[in-house]
Amino acid sequence: MAEPLRAVPAHSTADPGILLAQNQEDLVVGDELVRFRFYTRVVHWGVALTFFLCLFTGLPIWTPIFGWLAPLVGGLQVCRWLHPWSGIAFAVFALLQFVHWAGEMKMTPADKRFTKLGGFLAYLRWETHDEEIGKYNGGQKALFWLSSLASLALLATGVVMWWPEYFSSTPLREASWVLHDATFILFTLMIFGHIYLAIAEPGTFSAMVKGTVSKAWARLHHPAWYRDVSGDSRR
Amino acid sequence: MAIPGLEVIQSSASLRGTGSGIRTLPNVAKLIDTSTCIGCKACEVACQEWNDLPNAKTVQDGSYQTLPTMTAEFWNLIKFHEAEVDGSFAWLMRKDQCMHCADPGCLKACPAPGAIVQYSNGIVDVNPDQCIGCRLCETGCPFDVPRFSAKTGKMSKCTLCVDRTTVGLEPACVKACPTGCLHFGTKENMLSEGKERVKQLKADGFANAGLYDPPGVGGTGVLTVLKHADKPELYGLPRDPTVPKSVRFVKSYLRPLGLLGMGAVVLGLVGHYLRFGPREPPKGPPSATPPAA
Repeated sequence: MAEPLRAVPAHSTADPGILLAQNQEDLVVGDELVRFRFYTRVVHWGVALTFFLCLFTGLPIWTPIFGWLAPLVGGLQVCRWLHPWSGIAFAVFALLQFVHWAGEMKMTPADKRFTKLGGFLAYLRWETHDEEIGKYNGGQKALFWLSSLASLALLATGVVMWWPEYFSSTPLREASWVLHDATFILFTLMIFGHIYLAIAEPGTFSAMVKGTVSKAWARLHHPAWYRDVSGDSRR
Repeated sequence: MAIPGLEVIQSSASLRGTGSGIRTLPNVAKLIDTSTCIGCKACEVACQEWNDLPNAKTVQDGSYQTLPTMTAEFWNLIKFHEAEVDGSFAWLMRKDQCMHCADPGCLKACPAPGAIVQYSNGIVDVNPDQCIGCRLCETGCPFDVPRFSAKTGKMSKCTLCVDRTTVGLEPACVKACPTGCLHFGTKENMLSEGKERVKQLKADGFANAGLYDPPGVGGTGVLTVLKHADKPELYGLPRDPTVPKSVRFVKSYLRPLGLLGMGAVVLGLVGHYLRFGPREPPKGPPSATPPAA
């Protein structure tokens, strides 16, 4: 079992997992594993909050069915002002997240088994028991690459729609509009699934809050990561 | 602006439409006979005056044209097109302004409820208090008419002098025109007047004369008599203007599809939770050996 790399003051009453998770991850603390250190969590929350700011200021512009969201930020006029700026904030966090995670998101053979249709359907039936799933499974890696691509597309098309005087070409403006809408719809559907799985797999959300997960959670969802971090090969 | 006595029959970003349809009015139209326009620009001045628009600083670009294009504070621009037709020089003047389409692309594209409206007499108008300045109307318009003002953050364009026409006056430009090249009345009357004029032009030797009332946008509230109607491009008019396919696709297909997708996914996830429940990690100590993969 890996020893904590940094001493926790003996007089501290704080959760040792939380203290260690401030600047280290992938280590064992008592009955838990540190999954996401403070920086990882801040960047992911930054992406999440700015994503929803973009969504809530964009949906009332997309369709009057979501017009009731506009008063949350002060009306449609404010949405129109806030949406592009929150888009810039989202792009910044998405870039930070991309740089932070890109190295860990290479698809392994186990990930490819996971993302095949049969593999993914087995996962949705909660029947996946692949011992080779590492810190991130194939679905998470696919989401990472797809959402990075979607963020780039939203930024590029959003800039065209924001500054039409610099992009006066009509076909470019029309294509940007179509692409911006199509991308945001698919992105939002993926995020619905992403959030759902954080709820449907109890113990997951704690990785995004405290930074730690239980050993049992890690053994179930990410067995290879659990083995590497703990040196324990039992199920 | 709300116009007393005029019902709104189409409103941007309004799903159920508006207007009771009880009071109907004949559609109005302006007829522009380009063959009798002398390029005096009285209409430009009248438009600026009536609509309280400021003096425009003219731009000299080698022609008599006041400005290269319309602006947010200049809604009526005589375009001086120079062309060669049948081997001889032709000086083709056209009054550029909002065409007041029956099927307005700007209104289709606009995401702000009530920012662009169509009155029961066919006039397409902007409500600046509802306009959010997103400029999507520019993409929707096949005639490149809506102009965004950086000063006000709003779109503006010709109103067909709705404040005059509602009380029985003709638009300011029509009032000012000295040659009788501008006419105003019901669309029906303007169509027959325009067709009459086309007949005269044909008799005078302009075999390709015609009336520009493009069906792709359901016809327009601004009719234009052209001596060379076979080549509207010579006048800077699109041959077959329509609401852009992209705008129709986004509004009529992508949007309902997206809403359906969102609803279906939310229902699907709830169903998944009911069917498969949460995936809890096993309780108790782990078994000694890993199971076979």
